[in-house]
Amino acid sequence: MKFIGKGWRNRLVMLLAVVGPGFITANVDNDAGGIFTYSQAGAQFGYVLLWTMIPITIALVVVQEMASRMGAVTGKGLSDLIREEFGFRLTFFVMLALVITNFGNVVAEFAGIASSMELFGLSRYIVVPVAAFVVWLMVVRGTYDSIEKIFLTASAFYVCYIIAGVLAQPDWKAAAFATVTRPQAAGIRNYGYVYMVIALVGTTIAPWMQFYLQASIVEKGVTARQYRASRWDVIIGCIFTDVVAWFIIVACAATLYAAGHHDIADAADAAQALRPLAGQWASLLFAAGLFNASLFAASILPISTAYAVCEGLGFESGLDKKFHEAPVFYWLYTLLIVLGAGVLLIPRLPLVTVLVASQVVNGILLPFVLVFMLILTNDREVMGEYINSRLFNNVAWVTVIVMIVLTLALTVRPG
Amino acid sequence: MSLVALSELLGATVRDAHGTVHGRVREIAVAPQDHPTRVAYLVVRTPEGDRTLMAEAVKSCGSTVRTGEGTPLEPCSPSDGVLLLKRDLLDQQIIDVHGRKVVRVNDVEIESTPVNNHVVLNVVSVNVGARGAIRRLCKGVVPRRTLRALLEKIPAQDIPWQYVDLLETDPARRVKLKIAYEGLAKLHPADIADIVEDLPPAEREAVFETIDEEVAAETLEELDPDVKKSIIESLDKDRVADIVEEMDPDAAADLLGDLQAEHSGEILKEMEPEERDEVTQLLEFGEHTAAGRMTTQYIAVPNTVRVDAAIEALKRFEGGREALSTIYLIGPGQTLTGSVSLVRIATSLPGDRLADLSEPSVSCAPDTPQDEVAALFDKYNLITLAVVDEHGRLAGIITADDVITMLRHRD
Repeated sequence: MKFIGKGWRNRLVMLLAVVGPGFITANVDNDAGGIFTYSQAGAQFGYVLLWTMIPITIALVVVQEMASRMGAVTGKGLSDLIREEFGFRLTFFVMLALVITNFGNVVAEFAGIASSMELFGLSRYIVVPVAAFVVWLMVVRGTYDSIEKIFLTASAFYVCYIIAGVLAQPDWKAAAFATVTRPQAAGIRNYGYVYMVIALVGTTIAPWMQFYLQASIVEKGVTARQYRASRWDVIIGCIFTDVVAWFIIVACAATLYAAGHHDIADAADAAQALRPLAGQWASLLFAAGLFNASLFAASILPISTAYAVCEGLGFESGLDKKFHEAPVFYWLYTLLIVLGAGVLLIPRLPLVTVLVASQVVNGILLPFVLVFMLILTNDREVMGEYINSRLFNNVAWVTVIVMIVLTLALTVRPG
Repeated sequence: MSLVALSELLGATVRDAHGTVHGRVREIAVAPQDHPTRVAYLVVRTPEGDRTLMAEAVKSCGSTVRTGEGTPLEPCSPSDGVLLLKRDLLDQQIIDVHGRKVVRVNDVEIESTPVNNHVVLNVVSVNVGARGAIRRLCKGVVPRRTLRALLEKIPAQDIPWQYVDLLETDPARRVKLKIAYEGLAKLHPADIADIVEDLPPAEREAVFETIDEEVAAETLEELDPDVKKSIIESLDKDRVADIVEEMDPDAAADLLGDLQAEHSGEILKEMEPEERDEVTQLLEFGEHTAAGRMTTQYIAVPNTVRVDAAIEALKRFEGGREALSTIYLIGPGQTLTGSVSLVRIATSLPGDRLADLSEPSVSCAPDTPQDEVAALFDKYNLITLAVVDEHGRLAGIITADDVITMLRHRD
């Protein structure tokens, strides 16, 4: 970078100022798990679950803002802070839970890769191992940084959902009404409804994102003073994520749900939502977008998990280390990919079920991570003058309580 | 004499000579200004609040801490000159000077030696490996005896206390604790740079505030450009000026060139006039030209002198070692007339005239693009290259190490 001319550099800085860690995280958030969960929500319940979008967006902004503020103020990652403030044992269990949850997410990303390529008629038994190897090599060789821009640009695919949503001629009034209406209290007794709400929250406010976002802020060297600019990056990223989510649900509601197609079994079903835009090419468009989103997240998830765990537990980490210098780091990274991809090779694995289930696990872990974040962001010794405002605490605590209640509702009334 | 782990001591019950329980150990304090390793006192949580138990009153320690007659527990008075092992050390990052890396503390090994009627507790090492981790994970869950047996089998990854450098970000406390990063300062600047890159910003700043200016300057040159910039921006400008003065002028110009004009101006103002002039001159050239890459610290002698004078000049030279390999000869009006390599000087007699040893010198103009500079180094197998202005005057030299850095970063 050092030898690029000044003018070029300034333009690059301008670009990066807009596309900051918050925006990148937002794009990775709409991964395979996200696309299928939103699609399923629309197909299964029509406009009914749109009410979740506003509270989820508020909670997402609050949570992501806390993560990035912690990163900017302390210059440390979330797992570092948990370790320093809560000791070894708690850190160990949080990291264990994170590895299990993120393993589910890695499986989901490879499921996304597999199902997108099945639309092209390619067998998952070939696609998944190749993709796993490409991801592994890309990150270890350090080529990821240059490819990130390509992933980001290809994320423009999400605009397709917005267009498809409009072209599907949804009942705008009903959709708008469903977005601002109060949820029916009776919903909590419906197992499928609760399951889907947890999945929606879990996929949008995924625990791993908080670790990833905070680490990115630290890596970018954002300091407490420059923090104001980053806050906008985070807020815009969150709103973008949820606008896309809203349109995916609306597009699926207007196409699949309206046609009485209430269960998405595979990618071909989900691709129907894009038919108003792309007609017979809908599958192609959907496959390309899903492939990009899945590969993007698959490149980030295993490596960010390995970093978070090794930093929290005090193992050597970093791609500049040799394999024998940081064995735990490399093994964890490699196993997440190999085993995550390996699960996909189980014959007749129901991909969409696996995808949505992984997001439910996210939702169950979320309140625990949030409690740690809340304690940390309220600690004056850690945050100095940048501790949480009361409004933030309230929103975050409500999220925690709601998620715990929903999780209990899920476990107490199975089926 | 026996070893006891900090994690075992924390939470241990405190009993007096009669077996009466007084509370549990909450914290262990070392007062480095009195003794660098000896435990000064224990903080005990009692039903009446936190109490101090002076280390001299401890008769034995392990899962139970036994004290002498009476209850020598005194009210707790907070003191900021002490190192609290749980708060300041356990789970925190430290620098392993021997292994030259940043590590996280899993446990602290404390040695208890019986002296007269009590025990003396000394910090001997910190554990950064699996042994400390498993001990803390299983504490209170797995029976003590089983755990001990299990831990024996795990290789200890201990760092002796003398190789540990603590990271203390508060300057006032750092002085009180006598933390001077002594071990760190002895490392090679490139190793310090690797360590610094692994640290959070506040700790980076703390390192740069305490290490010697010369070491700081060399370390800074080895750092990643972004990290370098953020450190410079966080440090006090007097301190930056002191460090920049110690840097090679070309590196200093590079660094200041990356900063905001206002900020670099402030730093320049704080610098000594001589160094400032050199750097300002270099700052005016484009960064990617020969002049932007050159240093103005080189050895030049009149072309009329003999070898002994050249050796004198070598002895007096204060610039970087990279510039020592060639002695430049200048004629009237500072014009470059030739150069003599260090090898030729070493193999000649003191009375030989330098002009007779001189080789025709390869040179380039100040505005030569850096790629052409690299090509010249390659073609003529150079170690240094002279930069001359339009009047044939020697303006500065480029050294091979700068070219290697430049080639490595060209992407």
